[in-house]
Amino acid sequence: MKPVYLVKGLRTPQAKSGTILKDVPPPYLGHYLIRQMIDEFQIPNDQVDEVIIGNTGNPAKYPNIGRVIALEAGLHKQTSGYAVHRNCASGMEALSQAFVKIALGRSDVIFAGGVENMSQMPLLFGKEMTDFFIDMMKAKTPADKIKIATQFRIPYLSPVIAIEQGLTDPFCGKNMGQTAETIAKEFKITRLQQDEFANDSHRRATMAMEAGKFTEEILPLIAGDKLDVLVNEDVGPRANSTIEKLGKLKPYFERNTGTVTVGNACPITDGGSMWLMCSEEAVKKYNLKPQARMIDFHFHGLEPQRMGLGPVLAMDGVFKRTGLTLDQMDLVEINEAFAAQVLGCLKLAKEKDLAKRWGMDNPIGEIPLEKLNVNGGAIALGHPVGSTGSRLVVTLAHALKQQNKKYGVASLCIGGGQGGACIIENLEVGA
Amino acid sequence: MELKKITLENKEGIYYLGFGKYEEKSMTVLGEETFQEMDYAFETIANDNGAKGLILFSHKENSFLAGMDVSVIQGLDSEEKAIEGCESVHVIFNKLEDLKVPTMACVHGICLGGGLEMILCCDKIMASDDSKTAIGLPEVMLGILPGFGGTYRLPKKVGLPNALDMILTGKQVRSKKGLKTGLVDFMLPKERMLELAPEYLNKKSEPKKSLTESLTDKAADNFLARKVIFQKAREKVLKTTKGFYPAPLKILDHLETNYGKKRSSFLSAEARNFAELSQTIQSKNLQHIFFLQDAAKKIENKDEIPSVKKGAVLGAGVMGGGIAWLFAKNGQAPLMKDISTNGLELGLQQASSVFRKQVKRRRMSEDEFQRVQRSIQPTLTYAGFKNADLVVEAVVENMGLKKKVFTELEKEVSEDTLITSNTSSLSVEEMAGALEKPERFAGLHFFNPVNKMPLVEIIRHSKVSEETINRLYKWCLDVKKTPVVVNDCPGFLVNRILAPFLNEAAYLLQEGVSIEAIDKATLNFGMPMGACRLMDEVGLDVGAHVGEIMEEGIGARMRANPMSKELVDKGLLGKKNKKGFYLYDDEGKQGEINPEVQKLLPSEKVKMSEIEIQKRMFLPMVNEAAYILDEKIVDSADTVDLGLIFGIGFPPFRGGLLRYADSEGLDNIVSAINEFADTVDKDRYALSPFLKKLAENKQKFYEL
Repeated sequence: MKPVYLVKGLRTPQAKSGTILKDVPPPYLGHYLIRQMIDEFQIPNDQVDEVIIGNTGNPAKYPNIGRVIALEAGLHKQTSGYAVHRNCASGMEALSQAFVKIALGRSDVIFAGGVENMSQMPLLFGKEMTDFFIDMMKAKTPADKIKIATQFRIPYLSPVIAIEQGLTDPFCGKNMGQTAETIAKEFKITRLQQDEFANDSHRRATMAMEAGKFTEEILPLIAGDKLDVLVNEDVGPRANSTIEKLGKLKPYFERNTGTVTVGNACPITDGGSMWLMCSEEAVKKYNLKPQARMIDFHFHGLEPQRMGLGPVLAMDGVFKRTGLTLDQMDLVEINEAFAAQVLGCLKLAKEKDLAKRWGMDNPIGEIPLEKLNVNGGAIALGHPVGSTGSRLVVTLAHALKQQNKKYGVASLCIGGGQGGACIIENLEVGA
Repeated sequence: MELKKITLENKEGIYYLGFGKYEEKSMTVLGEETFQEMDYAFETIANDNGAKGLILFSHKENSFLAGMDVSVIQGLDSEEKAIEGCESVHVIFNKLEDLKVPTMACVHGICLGGGLEMILCCDKIMASDDSKTAIGLPEVMLGILPGFGGTYRLPKKVGLPNALDMILTGKQVRSKKGLKTGLVDFMLPKERMLELAPEYLNKKSEPKKSLTESLTDKAADNFLARKVIFQKAREKVLKTTKGFYPAPLKILDHLETNYGKKRSSFLSAEARNFAELSQTIQSKNLQHIFFLQDAAKKIENKDEIPSVKKGAVLGAGVMGGGIAWLFAKNGQAPLMKDISTNGLELGLQQASSVFRKQVKRRRMSEDEFQRVQRSIQPTLTYAGFKNADLVVEAVVENMGLKKKVFTELEKEVSEDTLITSNTSSLSVEEMAGALEKPERFAGLHFFNPVNKMPLVEIIRHSKVSEETINRLYKWCLDVKKTPVVVNDCPGFLVNRILAPFLNEAAYLLQEGVSIEAIDKATLNFGMPMGACRLMDEVGLDVGAHVGEIMEEGIGARMRANPMSKELVDKGLLGKKNKKGFYLYDDEGKQGEINPEVQKLLPSEKVKMSEIEIQKRMFLPMVNEAAYILDEKIVDSADTVDLGLIFGIGFPPFRGGLLRYADSEGLDNIVSAINEFADTVDKDRYALSPFLKKLAENKQKFYEL
């Protein structure tokens, strides 16, 4: 395998759905990140092999958003582009595909990342209403039309909420929140533990924001009705978050006995992220100074109703694949879909009998909290589904640089019962 | 007859007459030879009993016919000649109209003036659905009327109201709009036009007039309704032209008097009226400007000069945002750097406000707006500047700061990035000293607001390379601005000539002349706004600052009137803070005269005649222009006039400042200036020795 360089990673600010980024068309959560890097590194616009974009909402107006982003970014028309969908790990899937192509020597310059505007996920008409429309269109005579019109029923109009369906597992029928509840119950994770973890996420994120730790990774984004507002910070982390306040929230998924609330789960979010990934040849040719190297990745499946444990299985896989160990990791990112699920992962990672139950020879080891999600996670920063997989790597790479550390692993659970993980090496150690 | 201008081919009885095959320029124009050959062609077809039809088309890629060669119009030195010229063409066009076979023009690209007047003689007009197709009668812009039957045939084709709209404004119509008004009978893809033309020759034109359109057409047949239509049009013309331009009024008179008359008498009236307008001083002046503009658009080896693909702006204020808008509009996705997010947002607002207006007028879709506004990349760092071909610096007017910025910037850009400063008052020569590679640096002075003001001054300094000047010149043309190349001096070309004008207005105010009187005199001279109103627009603080710099750089002739400084100290900054000589509302609309200013002015008012006021203000401009020519700040009187027309809206019907001076007589101007030197101020009216010499030698500015 040839080495694969992560030359530079950038992301948009992330904002809770329905707020400042709600009207940004999804391609514009990615195109300017590419344009900025093209300008910065002066890579000719016809020298990019591919643009690979993770996205799960599949906005109807922008089919194959990867290609749309390539063109909007001003890349040459010959540039290939496509979208990938691996649910919550779509952004990581984009990076993985770029990794394989570069490692095999098939490609030299690829932009890989993800975009998601969850504010813009549509309401759909149900099957009855769709059938009604089709029959109306087929009707030739006015008499036929009237006949069909009389068959209309008001409930036909009740919408199918795309985002709600998307967050419900089609195999086991549980929604994502319920899978977190399952883990909380089985692993005996209390409400208080979850709220404490969530509160800590906000604390870490707001501290990182105040210390300017995100300024290098966020490229300000134009927003507002008139496109004259510049957003340069995440909308989500709360400096005034307290465990008491979190404790007052009602369980959302299991009203009476549950423990998972909107406060200890990640919010629905809009955002995008992008990596410029290059081969060694391209690095030399354009005189680039990559910030990191992607060592390898792994995806792993498990039962959909416990999808939240996926990160540990994926990490186990990537450690086996690379021969690296958890001890060697200076920083660890586990995406915070739900506090319960991250806490479940921490248990699974260190307990032998649990490891066995999920088919691991040995536990991967204890993940110290001071290495985990050092700048906060999705509970505070949000989880724009298609982007998060690459956003985690952006944040991880910048955190490694800031702490002058070498290895990091980014991992996340994937709706449908999978986990994904990838290891990167910071090349700016001592720089 | 050997054809050298047109082509004529007979395919199975259908004649194909093509234009532009032998034309080397990108646009085909009509001239004497073309007319003769057309005459021959129409005769041939008329005498061919086997003829089944005639199809007119162009061999050129994007030009059908650009109308009459303007130099031919300029050469008409008497009314008789003009009448003769029109009538000879009428005879030929009538032959086309009188052909017994069906006739049709297939138009792709621009079709203007005489080109349109000719195809109006065809039974049908087919136009391509391409955005490059634009049809119109621009004669009014040259101070004349369409003299080849356009005033007779267009109202018949599109109805009186639509015809008036086109003839009075000179605006160009796209195919889709043409289809609606009836100007265009069929709209086809350009690739299919010639192939399908024979089928369409005998087709009925597609009905598309809306109910209201056909009702207005009907109404125009009614005498009273027609009277109302003309009355309204006349009011509109007077409002926009303030009566300075005789052509539109003449067009209205002509159409009203001759409406409904038979072809022969209508056409001879048209020829007479055309002839009359062609000899007016206004028309001559407008033709002069046409040639000035035309000459300014020419640049040698244009294709060999590299284009700007990406722009960058430093300093995102009102000007920075305006320049970013210009880059964005022209697909040059600019980086816009400032030191604060607030600054960047100000620049974004500036660009957005212009684009939003287009969206509101449906000239731009929401999707296009997203794309073009988002093509601006706001940034607090220099990251990406390496990829910029042209950087325009628009930071605060402070020499030390600018020098510091250039030193920084030069490290962040590529070898051949052009670096420019949008300074309006600082020395470009001095700035050049701060650069390691001054040859790629020049001044690039835009006027506010950038989206409305067509002029850009390119400022030289002693070390600039010709390549830099050429690249900047080409860029200005690419972004549809009018460039003038100027040597470095305080105020450059436009502000240096404008300064004594505004300064003199301030002195007049101090002498007790009222704001109303000054602004009325300026407006009646033909300026787009009064002098005091203009000072509000520029900003009194900016004016005071420039005034100081001018006095420092040029001396007593520019001795700044202390009043603007007093006003600034009192917090009156002009339109920008809604308080200047006038008050302004939130939308920037002008209101009453500001009572605060009235209090500061002499309570005893002096009565001065309008002509006297005009002389006091405009003669110092002529005098300063003479100094500028003498110091070789610009190369010719042409450049001065071009600069003032497009930079401050010097009245076009006067043909420019120096053309106006020439027409007044330089000896008269010299004696008036000398008189003011005695009676008003010997420094401010210190006569240019150069002007004195010209007058003594009985020369004109335009004879240099």
